[in-house]
Amino acid sequence: MAMPVYMRRYMVRLAGFMLAYAVILIAGLSSQKALANMGAWPPIMVAGLTALPICGVFWTIYRLLVEMDDEYQRMLMVKQTLLATALTLGTVTFWQFLKVYGVIESGPEWFGVIWLAFWGLAAPMVRWRA
Amino acid sequence: MAGFLGAGRANGAVAGVKNRLKILRAERNWSQQDLANALSISRQSVNAIETGKYDPSLPLAFRISELFSMRIEEIFLRD
Repeated sequence: MAMPVYMRRYMVRLAGFMLAYAVILIAGLSSQKALANMGAWPPIMVAGLTALPICGVFWTIYRLLVEMDDEYQRMLMVKQTLLATALTLGTVTFWQFLKVYGVIESGPEWFGVIWLAFWGLAAPMVRWRA
Repeated sequence: MAGFLGAGRANGAVAGVKNRLKILRAERNWSQQDLANALSISRQSVNAIETGKYDPSLPLAFRISELFSMRIEEIFLRD
C-alpha cells in the first residue's frame, strides 16, 4: 500500500525543518565568537532563529495528528505523544531534584531534544502488540 | 509492558463490542489489506478492529456497514 498523503506531508515537512535546523545551527555555531562581541541582541536573534526549526518539528507533529484520517493510527500517535510527554516530565523532574539535593550543578536542559528522543522511543512501545 | 501501557481495548472502552468483520471479510474472499484499501485505513487498523483491540468510531462503523451493505447492528454486537 502506498504511503498515506498525511505521512508524505509529514516526511516533507520534517525533512525541511531538519535541513533548516542543520544549516542555521552550523552557521550559528561557526559565528559564535563574532556574535559574542556584538552585544546582547544578535545572539538572542540567532538563538531564536535556531529554535524556530525545532518549533517547526513540533508543529509538524501537531499537523500529523490533525491530518491523520486513520482513527486507529491517530489514537496510537496520541498515546505515543502522551507517553513521550510523561517520560520527559519524569526525567526532568528527577533531574531537577538531583540539582536541588546538590548531586549535580546544572538543572534540566534540552527539554525539546529529550522529548523528541522519547517520542521516537515511545513509538515502538505503544505499537508493541497494538 | 502492554498492560502497563494500557493495552487491551486500545480506545479504553470498558464494555466491549464484538464484531463479525473477520467472517464477513472471509465470505467475500477479501484480505485485510483489501478491506483496508476499501475503507481507506491501514491494515493494522483492520486487524485491531477484527481482534477486538479497537472499537471503531460511529462514522467508521457506518462506512463499514455501507461497504458490506448491512446494518451496523448486524456487524457489531454487544460483547
